[in-house]
Amino acid sequence: MKKSLGSVASVALTAAVLAVGVTPHRALAQGITYDRLLKADSTPQDWLMYGGDYFSQRFSRLAQINRENVHLLKPAWMYQPNHTGEAPIEASAIVANGVLYITEPPSTVTALDARLGTRIWSWTPKLPERLYTIGVHRSNRGVAILGDTVYVGTLDAHLVALDAKTGEVRWTVHVDDNNHGYAMTAAPRVIDGKVIVGISGGDVDIRGYIDAYDAQTGKHLWRSYTIPAPGESGSETWGKDMNGIGGGGTWGTGSYDPELNLIYWGTGNPAPDYNGSLRPGDNLYTNCMLALDADTGKMKWYFQFTPHDTHDWDSIQVPVLFDASVDGKPRKLLALANRNGFYYVLDRVTGQFIVGQPFVTETWAKGLDSNGRPILNPDIEPTPKGTLNFPDGHGGTNWNSPSYSPITKMFYVSSREISAYTISGKDRVDFPGFGGGGRITLGGDDAYGAIRALDAVTGNRKWEYKLIAPTEVSTLATAGGLVFSSSDEGNFFALDADTGKLLWNFTVGGTETGANFVTYEVAGKQYLFAASGNSFVAFTLP
Amino acid sequence: MVAAWVFMGTLSFAAPVRAQAPPPGPPVKLGPLDPEAGKALFQQNCVNCHGLDATGEEGPNLHGVPAALGDAAVANIIRRGIPGTGMPSSYILSEQDAANIVAWLHSLDSAPQPAAVGDPKKGEAVYASSGCSACHMIDGIGGDIGPELSHIGAQRGPANLKARLIDPGANLPKPAGGFTGGGGFTQYLLFRAVEKNGRVTEGIRVGEDSFSIVLKDAQGNLHGFSKPELAKLQKEPGKSLMPSFKDTLSSTQMDDLVAYLSTLKGAQ
Repeated sequence: MKKSLGSVASVALTAAVLAVGVTPHRALAQGITYDRLLKADSTPQDWLMYGGDYFSQRFSRLAQINRENVHLLKPAWMYQPNHTGEAPIEASAIVANGVLYITEPPSTVTALDARLGTRIWSWTPKLPERLYTIGVHRSNRGVAILGDTVYVGTLDAHLVALDAKTGEVRWTVHVDDNNHGYAMTAAPRVIDGKVIVGISGGDVDIRGYIDAYDAQTGKHLWRSYTIPAPGESGSETWGKDMNGIGGGGTWGTGSYDPELNLIYWGTGNPAPDYNGSLRPGDNLYTNCMLALDADTGKMKWYFQFTPHDTHDWDSIQVPVLFDASVDGKPRKLLALANRNGFYYVLDRVTGQFIVGQPFVTETWAKGLDSNGRPILNPDIEPTPKGTLNFPDGHGGTNWNSPSYSPITKMFYVSSREISAYTISGKDRVDFPGFGGGGRITLGGDDAYGAIRALDAVTGNRKWEYKLIAPTEVSTLATAGGLVFSSSDEGNFFALDADTGKLLWNFTVGGTETGANFVTYEVAGKQYLFAASGNSFVAFTLP
Repeated sequence: MVAAWVFMGTLSFAAPVRAQAPPPGPPVKLGPLDPEAGKALFQQNCVNCHGLDATGEEGPNLHGVPAALGDAAVANIIRRGIPGTGMPSSYILSEQDAANIVAWLHSLDSAPQPAAVGDPKKGEAVYASSGCSACHMIDGIGGDIGPELSHIGAQRGPANLKARLIDPGANLPKPAGGFTGGGGFTQYLLFRAVEKNGRVTEGIRVGEDSFSIVLKDAQGNLHGFSKPELAKLQKEPGKSLMPSFKDTLSSTQMDDLVAYLSTLKGAQ
């Protein structure tokens, strides 16, 4: 999984010998083996999984588009999903052998020719007329691929396996009951023979979990709950009566270390969100990073970012894995920029806290203690009249993927400078109502956003590029010395990965540009692929 | 610093799911209506735009609105908002909550409303003699630099109107939504753009994203700028293209003008 940067030339050479004019869907029949997934970062012409590789660095070794020529980048084609526009596009595309797999709101999977944008197939599940999506976007963040099968979680909480060539259903598993608030929006994570999925709906009294299924058959393999059963270790961090209490959604996509055989998956807030009076204690394992044994789902370690959260600071952000030297010793690390406003670096073998510091303005904690636990400021709890704090409920950053460049050793993250009054409400979830209060956000000209580059090991800021609105967008770092990102107002842009200097921008104009960027190469050309408003856009050089 | 944020901030509701209506749920059987609970919810959620007594600030006067529109419609607006306006959706308020707020608004219908104290007829003359129509339009007549005023009496209470005549650059309107996904951007905010050749343009922002901005100058001309090509771009908070009438109108004239503006409620 280590990034060696020597083979860019050989990748380019392989691509150059392919005939231009015909999209080489060469290995569709071969399928995407686990071995190919393990080596995802050495086949940058494909984008094989959420985050780009198992380390979720969202970094590409492609360098055809680079600092010198990125100003020439132009749209090659667009694709407009046939949806109502009520929900934002949030898909992170998969590219395998010249075919792009995207999801469209709410749960449609579509395969496109990656060079031309031509639709190959599209599959839409029949969703129930009444669908409960409390605190859940009616959207989807992408598929996973293994062999010649594509996996997707649907809004009514089914896991579906589709034939990658035709879109035909191979099997369907009913993961959970949407009538109790369970939904699925995250891209699954596939590893050797298994499909790992999280669950959405943690703003009501669900009991969150991470699930594993057999990739061939859909057979359930293991489940790891994010809220302990009564009597289990950790249950003492909750109140006695769990009626109307719950949460701990797992609506991001976790990362994986094949050598340690550990899955890293973040967990969401406890519910009701803004009133914690009937859930005294730390509320384990909400707002945690969990390290799970991939074979059994057994928890190897946990780290809780926000104990007893009352601000909706889900910790489902993508854990970015990287190796670096800390105090002269090589360490296996996990980095996460949290909705609570802090950037954390953990030892991913043990879960030990190494570094943590704010990457945006935050007013709720004085800092973190030596174990990474927040040292709270007084009077931060929500009240019926509202308590003002930075950041707001959408947090310093949200679900959108950050990136890490092994060249610059920087962590690139969409950052939000925004405060809100958090208002406490009901003390129990009153399904299908949204439990426990709300917030009044101070937006507009009183807030702003930025793309920030942090020293990945220390969290110190290296540069920022300011945006007028608090962004909820992804970043993509490349060997071309670039960081691609977008603004909430519908601009795509490229920054110099070393300095943050603006090198290219393109206005699409649709808001909701939160879908994660990917890049790939087909028929000798590198493409940048992103979504804004109701459109997917593929860019390439002339 | 924190206090400044409190007063300058856009107090708009950001529901956890942006720009999305509440999920369709099963029909809810409402319990007994509780106007006092509704009042408390109104004070938590609505006063920043509609005023403590619901007579309107940045948002409209709500007295008589349930009687005019019907309870169900008002409850629906409370939960779903009005797209394209400053009225946001809020699914943290349950149907019962919304019904309780409507019940409280009903209890206001018979309560005496704070009326504008001046003489609207005289105020109309003040409006005509003060040059207001150079920038403002009423029923199709007037300029388009400042806000259109045909409905201003329904949208703003008298105290709010008076405050704006005295200090037009203060507390500029900040509707939820706005022209970017972030929402709540200040309207009529003055900007000063300096091009690399030294040319200066001052105008109110009519459109902006992170890489471009469109300003409207005092003559109503539009100027579009690419931000990376500008030497300088400054916000000018507190300033306005509209002059203050604090010293040019007497207290009586001011009251008369406010009384006139309060009668502008558009087609009924």
